Amino acid sequence: MKTIPVKFEAEGKWISAKIGIDETTIHLPEPINTQIPIKSIDNVQQKKNLLIISAAEKDYRIATVPKALAILKRVILMGCSGYRLMAFFMSPAIRGGVMVNDAEWEKGAVTVLKTGIWFVSQNHQICIPIADVSAIEQTKREIQGTDKEVVKIDHVESGDVSTSFVLCPSTTLQVLYNYLTDATKGSSLDGELDPLSGQVAMLVYSGMDTHSIEGMLEKSQREIDAVYDRMLGLGLVEVVQTRREVKLTTKGVRFVTEAVKPPTPQ
Amino acid sequence: MGRILIVDDTLFMRTLLKNILFSGNHDIVGEAENGEDAIQKYQSLQPDLVTMDIVMPKKNGIEALKEIMTINPGAKVVMCTAVGQEQMVKLAIKTGAKGYIVKPFQAPKVLEEINNVLKS
Repeated sequence: MKTIPVKFEAEGKWISAKIGIDETTIHLPEPINTQIPIKSIDNVQQKKNLLIISAAEKDYRIATVPKALAILKRVILMGCSGYRLMAFFMSPAIRGGVMVNDAEWEKGAVTVLKTGIWFVSQNHQICIPIADVSAIEQTKREIQGTDKEVVKIDHVESGDVSTSFVLCPSTTLQVLYNYLTDATKGSSLDGELDPLSGQVAMLVYSGMDTHSIEGMLEKSQREIDAVYDRMLGLGLVEVVQTRREVKLTTKGVRFVTEAVKPPTPQ
Repeated sequence: MGRILIVDDTLFMRTLLKNILFSGNHDIVGEAENGEDAIQKYQSLQPDLVTMDIVMPKKNGIEALKEIMTINPGAKVVMCTAVGQEQMVKLAIKTGAKGYIVKPFQAPKVLEEINNVLKS
């Protein structure tokens, strides 16, 4: 059993200790003094150097340095109870519509848990939170001169829309696609979007502000507001800023009138 | 800052690209809505860079790219493609395209790619 120096949360306090870990079990010492079978872990979330492990409806919070965290995550993600398959992945491959220069296929595992899709390779452990997945698609991609079926995952990453690809044998690809589609169905659009709302959505995606959208589509503020209301209703957007329109009061008119008067000769 | 020719068969995409490129201080010297129009405008306007849609009527983006590369082997053309057209992109790169962007795209990334190609 390996030991890893960590801090873990127990009874509202952070305890510095060494935890034991092997391929089947994590041992948390006093005051928790518990063995967590790795197979009982059904979710893993990472927030910077903090790992939140969920097992048997309990959450365990463990913080440590990145190198130790990587060892811990690798053991958990390769042994926990989630949908897992060996695959090649490229994440991210496209960011904001532009190919990532140093993107390459990595050999490893894909583990789908309650809140995240994890890619684990020799050098990387990448998590795409399920809540950030905007689309799952089964598509073809040319790899080493031949067209291969891949699963394409679009996701939002630090404000950028990114795309990752998973390549695996065709027998498991369909299963992975179905599993991911099911895991992310909460973010699917119910119903259809009218053409104008579709164009507005595309412009918002591209980073245009409301003023630019009004100008590009030659629509009034009221019309764009109505589109925003429809999109808000469908859960497609959230309000980040409310623009105000104002008119001058008498005091304001007086100020402007005074401001444009030529200076009085001395 | 570069002088850019935008080639796309949809007014919506041309307008979107125009806005993005304007915001990056680029000059839009012209717009074309098909491959034939693109070749004519490339010769008359001699832009620093062309953004070229792939699927277009009359002459597609790949054919237009080939002719532009014959006219000027040093031409800087960035292909605009929809997801799933990787084969086309590969062909475009072999033909001489200097970069590509995938629709839908985000303004900062488009500008980054355009600026990189202009500097190259």
